[in-house]
Amino acid sequence: MNDRQKDLFQKFAALASLLALTVVFSVVSSSFLSVGNAMTVALQVTSIAYLGIAATCVIITGGIDLSVGAILALSGVSAALAVRAGVPVPLGMLAGLLVGALCGVINGLCVTVLKLPPFIATLGMMLVARGVALQITDAKAVGGLGDSFAELGNGSLWRVAKIGADGFPDVVFPGIPYPVLLMVVLAIAVAVLLRRTGLGRHLYAVGSNAEAARLSGVNVRGVTLFAYVLSGTLAGLTGCVLMSRLVTAQPSEGLMYELDAIAAAVIGGTSLSGGVGTISGTLIGAFVIGILRNGLNMGGVSAFVQQIIIGLVILLTVWIDQMRHRR
Amino acid sequence: MSAHPIPTPVAASGQTLLALRGVCKRFVGVVALDGVDFDLRAGEVHAVCGENGAGKSTLMKVMSGIHQPDGGTIEHRGQVCHFASPRAAERAGVVMIHQELNLVPHLSVAENIYLAREPKRGWFIDRARLKRDAQACLARLGVAISPDAPVRSLSVAQQQMVEIAKALSINAEVLIMDEPTSSLTESETSQLFKVIHELRRAGVGIVYISHRLDEMADIVDRVTVLRDGRYIRTMDFADTTVDEIVSLMVGRSLDEKFPPRTRVPSDEVILSVKDLRRKDVFGPLGFELRRGEVLGFAGLMGAGRTEVARAVFGADPVDGGSVMLQGRELQIRSPVDAIREGIAYLSEDRKAQGLAVAMTVAQNLTLANISAVCGRGGFIRFDEEAKTARRYIEQLNIRTPGPHQIARLLSGGNQQKVVIGKWLFRQSRVIFFDEPTRGIDVGAKYAIYQLLDQLAAEGIGVVLISSELPEILGLTDRVAVFHEGQLMRVLQTRDTTQEEIMHYASGRNGSGSTTT
Repeated sequence: MNDRQKDLFQKFAALASLLALTVVFSVVSSSFLSVGNAMTVALQVTSIAYLGIAATCVIITGGIDLSVGAILALSGVSAALAVRAGVPVPLGMLAGLLVGALCGVINGLCVTVLKLPPFIATLGMMLVARGVALQITDAKAVGGLGDSFAELGNGSLWRVAKIGADGFPDVVFPGIPYPVLLMVVLAIAVAVLLRRTGLGRHLYAVGSNAEAARLSGVNVRGVTLFAYVLSGTLAGLTGCVLMSRLVTAQPSEGLMYELDAIAAAVIGGTSLSGGVGTISGTLIGAFVIGILRNGLNMGGVSAFVQQIIIGLVILLTVWIDQMRHRR
Repeated sequence: MSAHPIPTPVAASGQTLLALRGVCKRFVGVVALDGVDFDLRAGEVHAVCGENGAGKSTLMKVMSGIHQPDGGTIEHRGQVCHFASPRAAERAGVVMIHQELNLVPHLSVAENIYLAREPKRGWFIDRARLKRDAQACLARLGVAISPDAPVRSLSVAQQQMVEIAKALSINAEVLIMDEPTSSLTESETSQLFKVIHELRRAGVGIVYISHRLDEMADIVDRVTVLRDGRYIRTMDFADTTVDEIVSLMVGRSLDEKFPPRTRVPSDEVILSVKDLRRKDVFGPLGFELRRGEVLGFAGLMGAGRTEVARAVFGADPVDGGSVMLQGRELQIRSPVDAIREGIAYLSEDRKAQGLAVAMTVAQNLTLANISAVCGRGGFIRFDEEAKTARRYIEQLNIRTPGPHQIARLLSGGNQQKVVIGKWLFRQSRVIFFDEPTRGIDVGAKYAIYQLLDQLAAEGIGVVLISSELPEILGLTDRVAVFHEGQLMRVLQTRDTTQEEIMHYASGRNGSGSTTT
């Protein structure tokens, strides 16, 4: 098998397990396979997908970002506080994004200039960002944000509804929720970036052999910094979307999300030693986690058992991946 | 477990320790070994020769339990056996010393020698005995290395000695050495040969792989030649010649070691370096590189040749000096600046610094010049990239199944060609080649020599850093001799000798920088 075939095989295996999960859950629960539930799953997956895309870029460079869950919370509450202070919603959300980007810049500088190990740099940021989020909100939820704040997280495109005979709206097609749309756009954009641009190629090169990349004229610092800024910005975006969906901003939101993101990337074939990974793989990984959660929920499996199962799935997929690479 | 450092005679001289019959090994898409026979007697040094990709490394790995053969048998002292792991092979007394040394940098020499076999007293490590035994091992090798020194503080040569000490401590009866002298100086090499002689007297069988055929005469008893994964012949070394071995290896006779020169050196200066200095490392020194010439950098290990090249390339900082390219002064602060100006550097450590091994041949070839295969909008054009890759694969005769092969799977010589191709695609005007033929087989060496001449003929300034004096004498037009960070002398190659170069390289006579 050449490498391209191997890659296809890996994708196929992941996709097949995704399909298998869907089939099993459809048989077990009659309400699993429906347009409504599909949308629910897609919506639930969006957060993991945004963060997974970010994690993939960072992990490809051989780094790791543990701070995305905390940045998400800080960005979300920042946006909410701004909106409550009277800033228009789009500007408030933009502020949230910028807060995320700023956190990413700090992460990136800690890694490239201070030469801290990424694990430590982003661990520090995780604590700092979470602490700031809790401090500026007094650890309380920020509510009363109005309908326009909720639009991004709850609105959808091409929603078709008729007013029924009883006077209530009768939903013909639920539409494509904005978060799902955003996920598709993001995934395509970042996939193109990774695969088709010089910058993307350089991300892989840095993760594959940083010294060789440097001696080939790759701006290793710049490329690494970019990865962390992208990660921070996407975490900020996730925060805005998530808080909008909940219509309140919780400073404790997004706890342990960084681990879901890393898990999605890893299930999708991204190598923690750097240089290897794809967005399509990560999306599949995110859906594997999302469908497992949703299906197990509908099957009435307890949250604790769900954790156990997802943990085992991660171990299994990475083991299979290792087997594939062993020669 | 016994941790006695000195191997006792393990077998009567001449007894067959290890015999491989019809061994086959296939990897995905490649037949690495195709029915190879090999036997090793007690008290002999048996060399395995072949070009890169001939299957030497795979054969060694099969013998030492890293790979399991797909066909054929291995007999250990007449018994068919199966080494499921390197550990199993070690238990049978078969130990391999890898070319890439496998030591733990943060542990001490003694701790490395007895790693996972530490002498214990109860539950605790017996530190006194650990040190004493390690000391005994090292003393036997006659090397002055402290058992307490952390391995990261040792030179590569010293680390090699630690690896050998480790093998001795296991009471190895079969010792497999992969390119043991590739990073040793001459005196260290003769030290190593003394140790090999002594091991042989003690009845140890030694499998010896080296590209340096000339040095084999001192130690080798028999030689087996492999080509393209096939067994060619086993001969007594006394009954053959280096030339015969080489012609068996490449399957044709090599009339000359070095290709004829097609270049015509001119007086036009391309690169001029003045007063370049870095505190405690080298300089101040200066040299000129002329159009159409190959300039050699000769000197002992640690003389500062690599450091000077890296400094010109912007890979390491400098404390002062100027670099002029075709009469224009350059401001080089990083490799990015140097590459923009057309200066390239091929690192001596290909795997660590030259090649992104997990990436494909095509991706490596375009790495330094990715924008050249990008179309409108800055997107990589894969057809353009593959076309570029195929062009260099053909031009440099890179042996690969295709442009999308992972670079790690190529042989050393072909990996080196990929790195060279990377700089050709970047249209470099000055290229520093740092030990470009290290660990590369004879046939591929010749191809690289031809390439150096061809590049110089095309007007590219070529600097060749080499520790092999025949290479310096056979390939360069002028040679700059370094000693402890100083440029001692620049000599006309055709008027000089190995002796004269060594004279300056060892620091005798002359001081400061001189340019002729």
